[in-house]
Amino acid sequence: MMTEDELVALVGHRFPGGHYRIAHWENWLLTDCTGRAPMPDDLAHPVVMFHAPILGAGTSISELFTLGHAAGAGSVGLESYDWEYFRPLCEDIDYAVDGGIVEAERTTTETGAIVDRVAFRIEFHDGEALVARVTNRWKFRRTAP
Amino acid sequence: MIVNVGDIIPAWSMDNVDPARMRTMAAILRDPYPVHWDRAANAAFGLEGRVINQGPLNLSYIVNMLLAWGGPSCVRRLTVAFGRPVLDGDHVVAGGQVSSVEMHDNERWALCEVWLDRNGEHVVTGTAAVALPT
Repeated sequence: MMTEDELVALVGHRFPGGHYRIAHWENWLLTDCTGRAPMPDDLAHPVVMFHAPILGAGTSISELFTLGHAAGAGSVGLESYDWEYFRPLCEDIDYAVDGGIVEAERTTTETGAIVDRVAFRIEFHDGEALVARVTNRWKFRRTAP
Repeated sequence: MIVNVGDIIPAWSMDNVDPARMRTMAAILRDPYPVHWDRAANAAFGLEGRVINQGPLNLSYIVNMLLAWGGPSCVRRLTVAFGRPVLDGDHVVAGGQVSSVEMHDNERWALCEVWLDRNGEHVVTGTAAVALPT
């Protein structure tokens, strides 16, 4: 298990950054997975703001698991999302993406289990304009009670 | 669009959470976590033979409810917490209620409590800001 100092040191970690273009096929398939009809007018389904920021920032779910020292299946869970949309998100626009880890803390549950909470924040820009921002909190379960 | 505090947003139902959609979603997300596609992987959690829906898909049912109500570009903010996992075959229903209506820059926003229910139990809860059509 990573030490608490190692955990706290994650705050400030920056992802490489990069660009992301939401492809029509990916928006269509993702929207289909949600159970609704395709989005009109090249609009992206708002839920693209899970994977597009992660990939666009130059990281991956696997790398985030590694950064948080995930112990394997069942050791990582979603805690919360805070997603903000400032402009419409559309297909086939080259968005600039950057972000990093903004919070990391060790907690002990009522039953005595150790759970580390890690939050990362990633922004989408179109030129100078902030288009969207996500802050996702994940929990890494370290010990059973 | 006339919206008042206390209004109930029309519910949006996913009658049968489909494991095939989870597999497609795992590929789109580049999500290597086998709990979404390998039934055997979940035996250790007492969920043998089942797979766990992705959190973004759980949220998407709430989003689809909002899009059906406010239009395809209405969502301004989503703040949600995840409670219990949703499994393949589950029937879940997204719901919401307007808690306030206010001006934000030049838009009229409905601030809403939102949730995803399974058998009457909230499995996702949160708030949403929705720009209302003029």
